[in-house]
Amino acid sequence: MNRIAGRRYLSLALLLWSGWLLAGAAVAGTAPETVCIQCHGGQTGRLQKPVEQWRASIHSRNGISCHNCHGGDPTDFGMAMSPERGFVGAPEKTAIPDFCGRCHVGVKADYQQSAHGRALGSGGPQCVTCHGNHAVTEASLDLINSEACSRCHEYGRAKVLREALGKTDGMISGLEDDFRKLRRVGIDVKELSDRTFALRNQFHRLFHSVDVEQVRSRSAGFQGDLEKVGAEVDSIRATLQQRKATGGIVVGLLVVMGILAMLIRKIYADEESAGPSSRNG
Amino acid sequence: MAGTGQNGTLKRRSEMDMEQPADDGRRQFILSVLLGGIGVILAGGAGWSIWGYLAPPAGKGEKSKIRLARNLAPVGAAHFFQFRGHPAVVLQVAPGKFHAFSAICTHLGCIVQWVSGRQEFLCPCHGGRYDADGRVLGGPPPKPLEVIPVAVAGEELVVG
Amino acid sequence: MNLPKKVIDFIDARIGIRDILQQNLTEYLLPRNVNVWYTLGAVLLALFGIQFITGILLLIYYVPNTDQAFASVQRIMNEVPFGWLIRYVHAVGANIIVLALLLHMLSVLFMGSYKQPRELTWVAGFIILLMSLGMCLTGYLLPWSQLSFWATTVATESSNEIPLVGDAVVRFLRGGAMVGQPTLGRFFALHVMGFPFIFGLIVALHLFCVRRVGISRPPFGPEYEPREPPSTFRHEHHEGGIPFFPNYVVKDVAVICFFLALLFGVVFFAPGLFFPPAAFAPADPFLTPEGIKPEWYFLWAYQVLKIFPSEFLGLAVQGLFVTFLLLLPFIDRGRERRPTRRPLFLTLFLAGLAVFIGLSVWGHYS
Repeated sequence: MNRIAGRRYLSLALLLWSGWLLAGAAVAGTAPETVCIQCHGGQTGRLQKPVEQWRASIHSRNGISCHNCHGGDPTDFGMAMSPERGFVGAPEKTAIPDFCGRCHVGVKADYQQSAHGRALGSGGPQCVTCHGNHAVTEASLDLINSEACSRCHEYGRAKVLREALGKTDGMISGLEDDFRKLRRVGIDVKELSDRTFALRNQFHRLFHSVDVEQVRSRSAGFQGDLEKVGAEVDSIRATLQQRKATGGIVVGLLVVMGILAMLIRKIYADEESAGPSSRNG
Repeated sequence: MAGTGQNGTLKRRSEMDMEQPADDGRRQFILSVLLGGIGVILAGGAGWSIWGYLAPPAGKGEKSKIRLARNLAPVGAAHFFQFRGHPAVVLQVAPGKFHAFSAICTHLGCIVQWVSGRQEFLCPCHGGRYDADGRVLGGPPPKPLEVIPVAVAGEELVVG
Repeated sequence: MNLPKKVIDFIDARIGIRDILQQNLTEYLLPRNVNVWYTLGAVLLALFGIQFITGILLLIYYVPNTDQAFASVQRIMNEVPFGWLIRYVHAVGANIIVLALLLHMLSVLFMGSYKQPRELTWVAGFIILLMSLGMCLTGYLLPWSQLSFWATTVATESSNEIPLVGDAVVRFLRGGAMVGQPTLGRFFALHVMGFPFIFGLIVALHLFCVRRVGISRPPFGPEYEPREPPSTFRHEHHEGGIPFFPNYVVKDVAVICFFLALLFGVVFFAPGLFFPPAAFAPADPFLTPEGIKPEWYFLWAYQVLKIFPSEFLGLAVQGLFVTFLLLLPFIDRGRERRPTRRPLFLTLFLAGLAVFIGLSVWGHYS
């Protein structure tokens, strides 16, 4: 690991440690507080807005904080925005794909080859145009809508693309729902979930090529793979149903046993109340 | 049967008293047998589950190894293949020296790619990077790539 | 050539087993008005037996190490045949046991069976209750899930409020400043060996006291009269009573079957009842999930700590309540056992029950 990355991860580790000690139970389900948040959080207007927006974002939910994208030292107020600690500030519009593409490598590659990517610098969209910069939510088909796309061209071709993506996207959401339900009863769906996540990412990359033909031709492949995952989910669900059926029988038999025992008890109770003279030998 | 006299009623009751225990005894026997029978069934079920729990499952082909042609992975290049149902990769780091890993990124499960120019693995989802030994170089992955044993056998590689 | 008879004859000639069996089964007489609440002892024995067996089975595949604990439980749930069943029976069983323990305690309180000469039985029983709760608490950490980790953190944190030694107590419980491998190690040792061993001894003591003193007679019916307890030892016989075996044993069997039906009903049809989503996520010391709460039987304590402005006061109140219950037979020396003729006791009993339920429900929704 090179030194800068190493230092960055050491600061991240120190930050997380101190964050946990300080915040305790008050920090519920978010990334720990950096000096960035501490300072910008107390500002007003333009300097404060990113903090609120980020808090609701999917980056925040996964522990990705300011310095992960903008660099700088998240533990030291003095060096928080120092180029020495890797601070790069906010990127210029044309540098945005490179900025986001440091992590989202696959998407950047597809975008740069696409009509959108080629139009960068001459009025074309970049990542922030559709995804926002701080209020980034989980990618979904809803990002393709008439308001967003008709800013630059007629919605028609975006609509075609959205429809081509629709079925596959529906399958993915359906599977993610199933995983949530299965996880809730203790089934380990990690392998299936990872496979679906990989397919989802490859699929979402595909959109960034904004090439309807490519989407259509590759959708069949994706759907086939997703169907295989779906079949495994169905077999898990069938097993769960089987267990329930067996369970019903077990509970039923136990209740019957209890009733039988109570009936035998009743015979003894009658004997007892009739007095010692009627006891059978 | 409708003996109205004191005597008649008493006699009937003592007759019934003598029959009752015998009837009861028989009912008791039947009920006990039923109770015992169901108990045996449930106990059998419990025993069978515990036996299944304790007995080692039949090996799911876990011993199966894969043989690959050696020249699929020239020096400095990687070859992706399926291993026991999962994506895997084998690469030749130096002449005659091979490594094999699971190609599943340890971050969130995407499939890594081999970047020949830098001799490292790159995950296209969130930029995770691994070196030729599978160790994490940077990015979000928490653990190194899972190692799969690989041996050279003449012109072939035996993976697994 | 009746083999079973020959074996029993052999043993009988040496230790008089037939005599023992007779005295404890067919010639052991129970009071005629014995009621269904008296079956709870047998129910608890059956349930603890199931915990013991399922616990040993789980031990085979469980790994008590923070790196592997969660994964080993996942393996049990998903890869080991019937592992899911053994795990759920053990986890749900623990909750049913606490329910049965509370019912058993409530019936003993209501019937005043803790009074002289049964004080020792009560004290032993109360210690059993405390140890069972200890087993629940230590067992909770073992799966090393988000729920395990944070519930244990919250539970051990409250000891901080004990004056002077609070911090040391927390460190002692956790084996360090925070919940970690040392905590898992000691909780595992306690759960698997420490508590069960002492628990077994105290259950044996409890059962011995019950048999030695003689089962109490329910204080109901026209024949009951409060009597001065004997000043020297005397076993309480129930002349003309009903034989324990087979007459009352069938009732034990019936109620055990109904409790098992409840247990398996939950296991098969509502296993998520005692498993919030945080129970299926691996422990993350850096990420506190929202809304961590203790199990239902600790909600009252949790709520008490939240009510009192000072946590120390909250802890003290709980401690006082528990101590009062433990020493109850020495505080309540009245001879009367009929609930309707003990107005003060009955009021406190009903109020206590209402407060317990109220605090638990409040704790659940707050």
